[in-house]
Amino acid sequence: MELTKNITLGVYLPGKSFIHNLDPRTKIIAATIIIILLLLSRSYAAFAVSALFIGSLMVLSGIPTGYALRGLKPMLPVLVIMWIFQLFLFKEPGATIYFHWWIFEATEAGLHMGNLIILRVLFLFTVTTFLTLTTSVVSLTDGLESLLKPLRMIGLPSQELVMTLVIALRFVLILAEELEKIIKAQMARGVAFDRGNFIQKTRKIFPVFLPLFIGAFKRAEELIVAMDARSYTGGRGRTKMKTLHMGRVDLTAAAGMTAYSGLLIYIIIFTKPMI
Amino acid sequence: MEKLIETTNLTYFYRSGTKDEVKALDKVNMNVFQGEILAITGQNGSGKSTLARHFNALLAPGHGDILVKGLSTGNKDNIPEIRKVIGMVFQNPDNQLVSSIVEEDIAFGPENLGLPQAEIIERVDWALHTLNLEDLRNEPPHNLSEGQKQQVAIAGVLAMKPECIVLDEPTAHLDPRGRREVLESAIRLNREEGITIVLLTHFMNEVVHCDRMIVMENGSVKMEGSPGVIFRKSEEIKTAGLDFPVASQIAEGLRREGFNIEPGIIKTEELLESLCQLKSSI
Repeated sequence: MELTKNITLGVYLPGKSFIHNLDPRTKIIAATIIIILLLLSRSYAAFAVSALFIGSLMVLSGIPTGYALRGLKPMLPVLVIMWIFQLFLFKEPGATIYFHWWIFEATEAGLHMGNLIILRVLFLFTVTTFLTLTTSVVSLTDGLESLLKPLRMIGLPSQELVMTLVIALRFVLILAEELEKIIKAQMARGVAFDRGNFIQKTRKIFPVFLPLFIGAFKRAEELIVAMDARSYTGGRGRTKMKTLHMGRVDLTAAAGMTAYSGLLIYIIIFTKPMI
Repeated sequence: MEKLIETTNLTYFYRSGTKDEVKALDKVNMNVFQGEILAITGQNGSGKSTLARHFNALLAPGHGDILVKGLSTGNKDNIPEIRKVIGMVFQNPDNQLVSSIVEEDIAFGPENLGLPQAEIIERVDWALHTLNLEDLRNEPPHNLSEGQKQQVAIAGVLAMKPECIVLDEPTAHLDPRGRREVLESAIRLNREEGITIVLLTHFMNEVVHCDRMIVMENGSVKMEGSPGVIFRKSEEIKTAGLDFPVASQIAEGLRREGFNIEPGIIKTEELLESLCQLKSSI
């Protein structure tokens, strides 16, 4: 089992493309706008336009689409289950019924609802993955810190929150490796993770996560001591090695985003939603 | 020599005040002198880590006193100043690196000190250069070997420009090569930058390179002195549960076989010299 292979969320692929060179703040704001627009989209046309837009961004960035979407693989079973649930359980009076069995009805409304939810998950995942693939964790957090700074005035501990994020991202891979180690150790002692029915399989997961969590807490405690020893006392009084600068590329990006948002808002308002 | 750290009757209890309180340190009196390399050794649970954590005020003394450059660590107001003077490197490099990029991690300490941007950059460059890590500058830590990660951890402390670096079993997780490189870095920082080094270790081959050593047992100082002197006390070393450096084991074995080798050999170089003399005298 290679767990780290399928993790694309939080992985950064260095590059020199237009997208890579954008200020992280531009990218964070753009991703946020795209996500909001996607959550408001209820028509196939809107998703088609978004797919086109995100697809062209991906081509611009030089990131292999296959790689970007690989992280979806472990989620597929969940997505299929979600789709089936929506198909059979979402009910709307007067909707066309495709299929009827006992108390279950597959309706047209259910089909669209299922599609809508799947599309949303797919797009949200793709947008966030794309953001982390083209933005290093460090610039991402620098960008976040800079964007959240004004919120300090209303009492939000923005720097501390961002520091938490920095650390969480650093430990994603470490914990994935540790999980792999624990699984392999238990396989070596005869646990067959791929055998048995759903309940039996699920039961085998607990002895894996327990040591993982205990290990994570131990790590956290050591990390706290190490940070303490390096004079960390929270965000107050901290300075930064790097500061961010916006440039011409960010203006171009802003123009592109405006065009896309305008088009999408038009579609959201004036086209008939799928349900 | 000037005393950098001074403890008087330092006593510390874990779970203090409860039924199962454990005395981790028992009236420890010891000094760390400016500019030396001091090794602290002893079995697991002998209290050496607890002692080291008092040096930069991660723990406050239960009884007794500890002064760092004359500042008491018990006083909370002194803590920022003490942590500027004493840096600390821990056993597991993975659990002390904060950032996902080497240079950012090294910048973490100076950033915490609130230094101006230009100075942070200068210090990071200097620390990277001093530890020969310039090529790894933009690497994420998970691409590095354990030894390199530990070097990055040392660089992160070095960038804070401490007068003393305490290394708490920095080589316990490393392979022989990583161990050698970390030890060499520590010695170089001492010789070239004049930084006082306190090295906690189980490896006697590391201890022999230190100026002075302290052997801890059951929370108190059992022996103190230069490694050359301490390793002659074979019986006491054995009861403290420690072993001997490889060179002195070989020398001892040869002596038992009737070869004329002088006692008190602890370093490989000394053994080599002694063997060469033996060869030329035959």
